[in-house]
Amino acid sequence: MNKEYLGEFEELVLTMVGILQEEAYGNAIVNEIKQRTRREVNLSGVHVTLYRLEDKGLVKSSMGGATSARGGRRKRIFQVTNAGMAMLRAMKESRMDLWKLIPQLKFS
Amino acid sequence: MRPSAPPDFALRFLAWFCPSALYEGVEGDLLEAFHEDLKAAGDTRKVVRRARWRFVWNVFKFFRPGVVLRNRFTIKLFNTIMIGNYFKVASRNIQKQKLYSFINSFGLSIGIAFCILIYLYIEDEKSFDQFHANKENIFRIEEKQFDTWQHNTKSPYQQSAWLQTGLMKVLKSDLAEVEYATRYSPDATGIFRYQDKVFTEKITYADADFFKMFSFRLLSGNADKLFQNKSDAVITAAVARKYFGDDDPIGRTVTIDNEGEKSFTIVALIEAPPANSSFDFQILLPQENRPYYEKHVDNWGNFNTPTFVQLAPHTNLDGFRGNLGKLVEKYMGDRLEKWRKRATVPIPRDVKMFEFEFTRLTDMHLKKEIGWHKVSDPQYSLILGAIAILIMTIACINYISLALTTSTGRRTEVGIRKVVGAQKNQLVYQFGFESILLALISMVAGLGLVLLSLPVFNEFTEKGIRLLDADLISLFGVILGITLLVGLIAGSYPALFLSGFRPVEVLKGRFSSRLQAGFAKPLVVLQFALSSFLIISSVIMYRQMRFVTTKDLGYNQNQILVIPTQKGWTEESNRTLAQFRTRATQEADIISVAGTSSSFNQGWSRYGYKIDGEQKSAYVYAVDPQYIPTLDIKLVLGRNFDPSIASDSSVLIVNEALVRDMKWEDPLNEYLNWQEDSLGKGSRIIGVVKDYNFRSLESAVDPMFLSMNKEAAGYLISMLVKISPENIPGTMEKISKIWKELYPDRPYDYAFLDDDIAKQYKSYQRWMSIMGLSTAFAVLISCLGLFGLSGINAVNRTKEIGIRKVMGAELSNIFILLNKQFVGLSLIAFVIAAPLSWYVITTLFLKDFYAKITIGWELFAVSVLLGLLLALLTVSYHAIKVALSNPAETLKYE
Repeated sequence: MNKEYLGEFEELVLTMVGILQEEAYGNAIVNEIKQRTRREVNLSGVHVTLYRLEDKGLVKSSMGGATSARGGRRKRIFQVTNAGMAMLRAMKESRMDLWKLIPQLKFS
Repeated sequence: MRPSAPPDFALRFLAWFCPSALYEGVEGDLLEAFHEDLKAAGDTRKVVRRARWRFVWNVFKFFRPGVVLRNRFTIKLFNTIMIGNYFKVASRNIQKQKLYSFINSFGLSIGIAFCILIYLYIEDEKSFDQFHANKENIFRIEEKQFDTWQHNTKSPYQQSAWLQTGLMKVLKSDLAEVEYATRYSPDATGIFRYQDKVFTEKITYADADFFKMFSFRLLSGNADKLFQNKSDAVITAAVARKYFGDDDPIGRTVTIDNEGEKSFTIVALIEAPPANSSFDFQILLPQENRPYYEKHVDNWGNFNTPTFVQLAPHTNLDGFRGNLGKLVEKYMGDRLEKWRKRATVPIPRDVKMFEFEFTRLTDMHLKKEIGWHKVSDPQYSLILGAIAILIMTIACINYISLALTTSTGRRTEVGIRKVVGAQKNQLVYQFGFESILLALISMVAGLGLVLLSLPVFNEFTEKGIRLLDADLISLFGVILGITLLVGLIAGSYPALFLSGFRPVEVLKGRFSSRLQAGFAKPLVVLQFALSSFLIISSVIMYRQMRFVTTKDLGYNQNQILVIPTQKGWTEESNRTLAQFRTRATQEADIISVAGTSSSFNQGWSRYGYKIDGEQKSAYVYAVDPQYIPTLDIKLVLGRNFDPSIASDSSVLIVNEALVRDMKWEDPLNEYLNWQEDSLGKGSRIIGVVKDYNFRSLESAVDPMFLSMNKEAAGYLISMLVKISPENIPGTMEKISKIWKELYPDRPYDYAFLDDDIAKQYKSYQRWMSIMGLSTAFAVLISCLGLFGLSGINAVNRTKEIGIRKVMGAELSNIFILLNKQFVGLSLIAFVIAAPLSWYVITTLFLKDFYAKITIGWELFAVSVLLGLLLALLTVSYHAIKVALSNPAETLKYE
């Protein structure tokens, strides 16, 4: 696992999948990113990233229910796997470890 | 279309490129985004337009490799993570079993090398004449004649590319679609003289259009102005270097003597034709200089030069065919009527006596029905391809049987892998990967072999193939394709077999140590059968070739020099002969000098004549009285020609075949009216010679007669000089000196008669060498395989043999025990191969010979003994090694 590397955008998308839980599909993730980080992202970019995460085994997907807003098309719902969760946690921890190494501002 | 719907074309585009597994989710997300965009505030029409635009843009953004190529390439098929491990295990295995790896890759690399060579050969055959810019519009005109002379119901027509001399002009003047036309006579020779350099050279006669039609590059000179003078000559750079050295050849005057000396001026240098050209000229002269040109040019009954035309682009070929038919009617109509009446067999009215046909320039190389000195039979490619596949099969079988028999060592590996969680297909991939790796290694070795053997291959096939000339990309593609295919074929069965082991059985150790793969034996039989097929074929070919080269031809062919008089078809030749004889016979080592109109394998002439309404024909040789004694030809009846009897110039000596043909009871009282003399009885017969093979052994001894009649039978243009067997080099030196002294202005060309005769069988010799070489390789590969196989077999039975020895088995018993099955297998293989090879070799090879060996049981016996001996030699190494081993050593660990 430690050899695996996750890009910034991949991490962002993976996190969003974790946040959205049952509602994690392409368009929702785009909107969520827009809302929470005020960042305009492309739908196709999100899709490709999701597929890549799936290849790496960090998320898994299944077809969910349809809504009329989608012209009756079903959603592909993504779900973070245990490996994905471990990856997120490992990344957070390693970042915290690094953060702790930065000399904190001291008042003398 | 509703204004609020997304554009149709974008949806269709998405459906086209998006993998079906992703399609629904992607389309849904896109539609959702579209509807969200529609809800934006503002002017409705503007919003809709913007949403639609964004939809299209989004669709296009999905057109990216991550989406389009997803699941297209089956990368997932191969678990990429494991490749490193597969590679490691494979290379360890190759290193661990050095001998087997060597045997496998040796066989495979020879197989691959053969395949590459055959591919190069076929590509070269296909590339013939493709380099001409006008190749699509150039055609060779041919004639198709109803053969009235030798009526043959199976193929009543005879076809030839040799046409009337006057045809070319008529084609150009009468037919509008003919843009250019040239005659091209490739088969002349002449004496080329420049200052003191005198050699016999190949001469080609052509017309001015030749340079406009064909893409042979001019190195100097102007293509539009060539051959405007009758005395223009165009030569290749090699000829220029030979005669002029580094000097500029343009404008120099040379003389060329072909039936009469003429002066020519070199007007251009031309690039020598490449090896894959149907033309191979060195010296080009205008057609008008061809001997007897004036006599032939208006004669529509004489066929003596090939003719090529270039048609206007997009000419209707059926129309052209029709126009050629009109030409036949116009110029040959009367003549054909006469032919029809004169024919001895009735010709149905609907049969055309004569037709012009044509072949596209690029098709002429493989059109074997029509004679051309560089024509090739497409069957050759097939035979060579079959040989390559044969060798490849043998090598693949080696791989399969060795992989199966060595599988014992890998059972545990398979078991462990399965227990740890490997799927069956993963194991199949692993073993497939191994065989492909081995095939790739063999490919590299095979390429090296190709580089090494290309010169020899070129010599065998009379080609000038160079590896770098080939289309490298497709060549490499083919090589890689062959390699992968071989890897897959050879690897598939072992992979399936090995991956099928049940882990429980394997790991419990319940597997017996004996080989279980039942499929291996039939494979070995197949391999043996292929090898025996090659062995038997080679033995038969070898025997036939030894037969034709050592058969008593009925005359003496040894220590005889053939020297052309270099004076052409004139009385002058006869004088040269007489003069040379007078001078040469003064030397003790020169036994006799005879003259003939055509020496063996240097052409022939045949006369047809009607006797009592029946069409007959016979070969005719003009000779002199020394001919029969010089060649030791046996006279059965009558006497030889006698120079002191003047009337002998009109009498004949015939062979027994002619006597049989004429059904003569008492030949010495007969006359042969071969000149169809309506007044006299013809020529008297004074002698009968025993049949001798004046032509090659491909044909029977046909009726033939010898004559001294210069005007009718011909001039003596070849001298046969018989020398004593002692001190041949010294005598040769003497003859050369005599020639220089008598004829300093004429080149001294000579050949040995037995070499000339052997040349008749050159192509057969070549095929025999190719076959012999393939057999050697095939046998080597299968012997190596057998060696490996017997080794494993012996090791598998070490314990058994130890026990047998303890119980008192003799060395010979054990030897027989170990080899019994191989002998059995090879006998089965032989029984399969014998009839097959007999059939193939008689239909492909022996059918060309009239005089042939009888294939008896002893031929097969020799082959089977040879094969068995080889097989036994190979297996006995291991057998003896095991049989000699000390039982205490092999049994002590039990």
